Amino acid sequence: MIAYLIAVGIIALIYMLLTIGLNLQYGYTGLINFGVVAFFAIGAYTSALLTLGGWPLVPAFVVAIIVAAIVAYPIGLLSLRLSDDYLAVVTLGFSEVVRLAIQQERWLTHGVQGLPGIPRMFLSLGIGDYAELATLAVLVLCNLAAIGLMLHLVRSPYGRLIQAIRDDEVAVEAIGKDPRRLKVQVFMLGSGLAGLAGAFYAHFITYLSPDQFLPLVTFYVWIAMIIGGTGRTTGAVAGSLILMVFLEGSRFARDWIPSVSEVQMASVRLALVGLALILFTIYRPQGMMGSRR
Amino acid sequence: MTLVDLCNLLINGTIEGLLIALPALALTLVMGVARFPNAATGDYMTVAAYAGIGVQAWGAASIFLAGLGAIAAGAAISIIFYLWVFRALRGRAPVASLVASIGVAFFARSMLTLFVGHDQQTFNLPLVRAWNFGGVRLLPTDLYVAALALIAMALLFALLHLTPIGRQMRAIADNPDLARACGIRSGRVLLSLWAVVGALCALGGMMFGVKAVVSPELGWELLIPAFAAMILGGIGSPIGAVVGAVLLGIASELSVPFVGPSYKIAVAFLLLLLVLLLRPRGLFGKAILSR
Repeated sequence: MIAYLIAVGIIALIYMLLTIGLNLQYGYTGLINFGVVAFFAIGAYTSALLTLGGWPLVPAFVVAIIVAAIVAYPIGLLSLRLSDDYLAVVTLGFSEVVRLAIQQERWLTHGVQGLPGIPRMFLSLGIGDYAELATLAVLVLCNLAAIGLMLHLVRSPYGRLIQAIRDDEVAVEAIGKDPRRLKVQVFMLGSGLAGLAGAFYAHFITYLSPDQFLPLVTFYVWIAMIIGGTGRTTGAVAGSLILMVFLEGSRFARDWIPSVSEVQMASVRLALVGLALILFTIYRPQGMMGSRR
Repeated sequence: MTLVDLCNLLINGTIEGLLIALPALALTLVMGVARFPNAATGDYMTVAAYAGIGVQAWGAASIFLAGLGAIAAGAAISIIFYLWVFRALRGRAPVASLVASIGVAFFARSMLTLFVGHDQQTFNLPLVRAWNFGGVRLLPTDLYVAALALIAMALLFALLHLTPIGRQMRAIADNPDLARACGIRSGRVLLSLWAVVGALCALGGMMFGVKAVVSPELGWELLIPAFAAMILGGIGSPIGAVVGAVLLGIASELSVPFVGPSYKIAVAFLLLLLVLLLRPRGLFGKAILSR
């Protein structure tokens, strides 16, 4: 039971990192990233391939963050020329192309067969079951650092500026600031965070395959952000916890209604995610925690 | 690559493009009039294609009845989600409708898989041999499908340019406030718009189903190509969507000998990026866009 709770906690914290990153991009700056899962996948595969190639974990994690952020750079640049809806389409397309590339480039990623045997974190310490607890602790620290960074950022002049971009880009230009550079920076920062989340995911699950990186993951993160309330760091925290309760809870729901098969349960889960996206945008755009603006 | 191969690729690309043109038209109509990218377009196609399968499974062997059933289902689902979701979101930022349309896409697809399962289905059609003109092959089915797509487009353009309701749609697309000031009742116009959008999606889904198989991911996988076609042609321009789709179809077929068939989506995506970088308003877009 404890082991199960730790595992759920780890996944929840991984989603929390993703949600904090997306909240920075969309909630604060207004960049519609429908391709969160692409940067998550890039981080996961980068770190997995490096460690399988003999790298130690820490530099592999750092490189995973950097690669995800660097890949975000051209897309961030592109977003300068596009309005919000175009960026949504481009990032969604990008995430599908990344998944396709993982599927097809077998020499690198083993395609649909997947990448097994990715080393666990803290294995070399020989602390057995405590390795997962240590992973959980590191994730908590990473999340606290990310939250601290966000809270600091929001109150800083930089944070006011990026929120001003969301609210009125022309006004930002009028006061002599360059919204373009800021947008690219925010996009890279959020994507780097997604890359970090991907690295944690790879070394916790220890097996990667392309079907773990469906667009559904992106919209899990969107749901977490929307439920918590966009543009609120505390909302991202609460939203990802609520999402995890829902995802795990739906697993137990099958014990009470045994006539439902796992495949049907997957459909029900997808339906509820869709329903939540619809109902929240119509009735509670400010999220569960926010007050009506 | 010989000339014969080239001809085959061109023919396949044109046919594929004519089919992608249907959802691209649906996207561009919604974009022009309701002003958001409707990510549920692909899943309307899927649901309608399954409705067509359902009509055949109920004993109606005729493919035309199946097609009518699909069109009715496509129009119905499109109107239902308009009344329930997109009407409530009018007047809000486009991103609200965009996020909600993702929700609609997931909801529609999961309801479908919950009740009919994930199995691939095929339409019950007589098997026909391809015509062979000295190596250039042409499937009669492809020809019928392409002809039907062309007829549907002709009907759509007639509707948009020759009927009062089409004129009103274009008026709202052009300037919603002016249209309202002129006494155009947008509620009725939008209802017909969504019915037309649903019918276009249904035809597209049905035809892709006839050409290959019907699976729950049928429409979702066509969403990026349809977006690319719309943007290539210029957002809000129906003729642009058709031209963009055909160009896209040919480009992705011509890429097959070089990158293999599995990278078709990637080719569509690259083309989309190129257009956005070089000519963001597309081939037929207006010079000034408010977005």
